[in-house]
Amino acid sequence: MSDTRQLVLAAVLLAAALAAPAFVGNYWLRVLTTVFMFGVVAQGLNVIVGFAGYHAFGNSVFFGIGAYAAGVGMTLGLPVWIAVPVAVLVATLVAAILGWPLLRLRGHYFAIATVALNAAATEAIINIGGVTGGAQGLPLPFSALPPTTLYRIIYFAMLAALVLATGVVFWLSRSRLGYALRALRDSEDGAEVMGVDTVRAKILAWMISAAMTGAVGGLWAYWLTFIEVGTAFDVSISVRGYIMMLLGGMGTVIGPVIGAALFQLVGDAIWSHFSGIHNLLLGALVMAVVLMVPRGLLDSLSRLRPPARRGRRPAEA
Amino acid sequence: MLAQTFVNGLLLGGVYGVATIGFSMVWGVMSIINLAHGAYIMMGAYLAYLMAARLGIDPFLSMPLVMAALFCVGFAVQSLLLNPVMRTSVLLTLAMTFGLDLFLVDVFVALFTSDIRSVNTSYSSEALAIGPVLVSYVRLAAALLSLALAGLLYLVLTRTRLGQAILATALDREAARLMGIVPERIYGYTAGIGAALAGAAGSLASTLFPISPGLGNSFIGAVFVITVLGGIGSVTGAVAAGFVYALIQSFAASYLGVNYQEIVAFGLFLVILVVRPQGLFGKRFFGEV
Repeated sequence: MSDTRQLVLAAVLLAAALAAPAFVGNYWLRVLTTVFMFGVVAQGLNVIVGFAGYHAFGNSVFFGIGAYAAGVGMTLGLPVWIAVPVAVLVATLVAAILGWPLLRLRGHYFAIATVALNAAATEAIINIGGVTGGAQGLPLPFSALPPTTLYRIIYFAMLAALVLATGVVFWLSRSRLGYALRALRDSEDGAEVMGVDTVRAKILAWMISAAMTGAVGGLWAYWLTFIEVGTAFDVSISVRGYIMMLLGGMGTVIGPVIGAALFQLVGDAIWSHFSGIHNLLLGALVMAVVLMVPRGLLDSLSRLRPPARRGRRPAEA
Repeated sequence: MLAQTFVNGLLLGGVYGVATIGFSMVWGVMSIINLAHGAYIMMGAYLAYLMAARLGIDPFLSMPLVMAALFCVGFAVQSLLLNPVMRTSVLLTLAMTFGLDLFLVDVFVALFTSDIRSVNTSYSSEALAIGPVLVSYVRLAAALLSLALAGLLYLVLTRTRLGQAILATALDREAARLMGIVPERIYGYTAGIGAALAGAAGSLASTLFPISPGLGNSFIGAVFVITVLGGIGSVTGAVAAGFVYALIQSFAASYLGVNYQEIVAFGLFLVILVVRPQGLFGKRFFGEV
């Protein structure tokens, strides 16, 4: 899909999202907030996986870190509008520090290392105890706002995060860094030879990815008012993001957003009828996506048109 | 205490080794990280449990049947789901096996609920006393059988035409094709053997651990670390690393506390990945035996 088409689609979606709270009830407000949240997670993965080609399966670690940073910050007395940026900062910092050893690993190794990192972070939070609440979980201070107002604020905050994240990806798609990342995705050695500082580019990409994921992690903690390690560091968060990214088309600007919307909306319709076998359906859906639309819906749709008009195609990893 | 910890680690190591060999071989030969390997182990454990509970067949005796069943599963999964996406990208096979794992685990939750089950044999609680150290017969048998299986696989890979074909395909897929080998079929056999070994590990695990649909997931972390530790695709490496890992885990659990098991394992993993990505014993040669 060409850039202008993606832009038009994005504008229509944004207008709909801005108008939605006036028309929908609490249930759909919550569903849409979840869509935006996963949209950001998917965009975060898009940066590191779709652009840089590093398969961060355990990117949920930044979601958990963001949630815990915001949660701990708020229990220590920070207002939410400082706690969430702090969460972003902490997640970004962790990515910067861990990026140096971990991003030296390629392919499968990096994917597993991020999953292991997620497991270790879970253990670490439990073992630290004290201010993190350990295994018992961490209750956040209640907001004084009435629930309806609060949920609207969270809705718009998540939407803002999604718009910001998509904006960053749009910028990335035409920036020097974006070209460097795509070059190193296709051939790391080749990019190095062409003068790309691959180490710097990779670490920057992971930091951007962590910042996005950490931001929604922090907002999510504020939304839930109670967090515990099992749900905050749940690998299925990044796995869902992954499927959404694959579904929409990785390496595209709005693919992950569309994937998130489709997956979450269809999922919500299906899940509610089959509460016991979520994962069975989720697993079957993952397999179906991989077999049938491995390059994502945006790409599959654009293939329906004559090839001459097709824009830049997201290359496979 | 020291001696007992050592023996416990050693006995567990064999099972870890068998749980890892299949995974490591599949990774080495086909570049597939089979995230459903844990689910295969779990399926093996349930099959062994069913045969013991319904038909009264001892898990050690039903193992060949379990392995045969899992071979078919592995072969079918490879042919139907994985071969079609092998060419495109590394990531897709990973996503595919992840989906498969979610699917299989939930199928077993639906069939058997999440209740914990166990296989009890007449000799379950008996142990051989060597001085102050107790050696459980079941664990000893499991460890010895593990070594026997590893030895058997080593012979299959080095001495049979199928084994040679698997190694050849791992080394150079296109050259193997020119020699009249059909890579897709070899991939099917490799995946089948990998699944069969997972089934064997599941059989052994059913005699040692409580059985639940989550059983495989408790193994998969260890399997990853051992694979990398032993060198990807190396059978002997996986066995040796299984022992090393089990010893480290058993000492970490008894001296630092069970909570630190995973952190120690992760730390070890990270250090190996960064310092010696080819594994402790391995060379950078996939499909090595």
